Amino acid sequence: MKKTVLFILMTLGAYAREIGGQVPLVQMDLSASKGGDLLVSSQMIQNILHYQNWGGLFLNLQVHWFRLLFAIILIGVIVVFAIHYLIIGKKVFNENCPSVLVYPLFQRIIHWIAALSFVLIIPTGLIMMFGKYFGGGEFVRISRYIHSIGTVVFIIAFIPLFYIWVREMIISFKIDTKWVFILGGYLKKKHIKVPAGKFNFGQKTWFWMAILGGFVMIVSGAAMYFQDFNIPILYKLKLDQIDLLRIMAVVHNFVGMAILALFITHLYMSLFAIKGSLKSMLTGYKSVHELKYLNSSYYKKLLTKGFISEDKVEDD
Amino acid sequence: MSYARMKFYCDDKRCINCDGCSIACAEANELPVGISRRKVVTLNDGVEGKEFSTSIACMHCTDAPCEQVCPVDVFYIREDGIVLHDKVGCIGCGYCLYACPFGAPQFPTDGAFGTRGVMDKCTMCAGGPEPTNSDKERELYGQNRIAEGKVPVCAAMCATKALLVGDGESVSEIYTKRVASRGHGVQSVPYGWSTAYGR
Repeated sequence: MKKTVLFILMTLGAYAREIGGQVPLVQMDLSASKGGDLLVSSQMIQNILHYQNWGGLFLNLQVHWFRLLFAIILIGVIVVFAIHYLIIGKKVFNENCPSVLVYPLFQRIIHWIAALSFVLIIPTGLIMMFGKYFGGGEFVRISRYIHSIGTVVFIIAFIPLFYIWVREMIISFKIDTKWVFILGGYLKKKHIKVPAGKFNFGQKTWFWMAILGGFVMIVSGAAMYFQDFNIPILYKLKLDQIDLLRIMAVVHNFVGMAILALFITHLYMSLFAIKGSLKSMLTGYKSVHELKYLNSSYYKKLLTKGFISEDKVEDD
Repeated sequence: MSYARMKFYCDDKRCINCDGCSIACAEANELPVGISRRKVVTLNDGVEGKEFSTSIACMHCTDAPCEQVCPVDVFYIREDGIVLHDKVGCIGCGYCLYACPFGAPQFPTDGAFGTRGVMDKCTMCAGGPEPTNSDKERELYGQNRIAEGKVPVCAAMCATKALLVGDGESVSEIYTKRVASRGHGVQSVPYGWSTAYGR
């Protein structure tokens, strides 16, 4: 306890001096020599022999694949949705009928904190990946800092996000397999009653990607951010620290691709595919007409519970 | 005509683990505390007959993996084979470290919040892209001894002349002579080199 307090005081002192312009004579950070000397040790030389295991993999992927795959996903997903918009177009529902509070205030706040974090993290991640086209330097470096700050914002939203929606996001084979077979009804212009509870399978996929994928991203990102650390489990796994960093970079990129694809999908759905979708996340209300078609199981549940009455909603 | 390619080689039969090279490097290039462009590492510590020390820094690879993975393309390889990078363009992402077989890239902390700064590594005392021997070059990259016709400071300071530097052929010539005069312990390539590169 005493040690912790002393450490905090020393750290604060060091920052205060730096911010105040008074540079301490000796920099306190002995990163190369603290915590077991992992990056400067015999491990460093021995790892040269195992370079092909993970170093070779990272090298190959970063040189030939990561940038290419990110570009394919970024352009491909956008093109697919652009075509969808041209052929199928916006789904428009009657907004003059009664509406139901679907997203209470707390859920909306958490959603928008998470949304802010994604808006900070995803573009800056792409800027880093395609850094050479931005000329590198200050702009890309600041993007890297924003990428880390966005992560802190995401961590704030992470647990509440999980908590508010986990019950409704549990995948139901009965309803969700049907949704997959008709692809959520998005391939037809006509309104059809789509099998979905409060959230459809697409939203559920996005939720679990944000939660599970997000967790993986936090862990792998943190490993790369802190870089020089000492965790005893590495000895047990017989994994060199540098190899852990390489694995984390590979994982971070692949999960990042999946998140990017679903993030663009989410943006398209909320901004373009369904009229009033963005508004519903701002006000919390969704029209009963929309629920009847896009969330038919949820609609039935509301009917049986008596929250809404059938006669007020016109059929198509 | 073949061009010279500058190479380091540490003769582990001669290295006495004095750390002179890494200290000389840190002092000559005014590196911050905790940054070691060159490191001396002992293997098989205490195992009789098997213990040896070697000095390691950027090996200035011909096919430098750091240069290949850099997302902002700040690396460049000089005609004499020295691998350098532009610190103004560097974003400090750390990918060069993951790609490097030798753990050469170093990341000093930068600014009040201790964020990781831009990468720093051995320049073979050849500075960087800034004008040769300018203040900015010295501040960012350290000395440019190559431009003055001097040997990199680590090899110059090596008391046992274990650390050799120069064009690959001259280094190999010196080493061949040493091995011949010793009469044993032939090591055709540096430790780990063949495995790392599959050659």
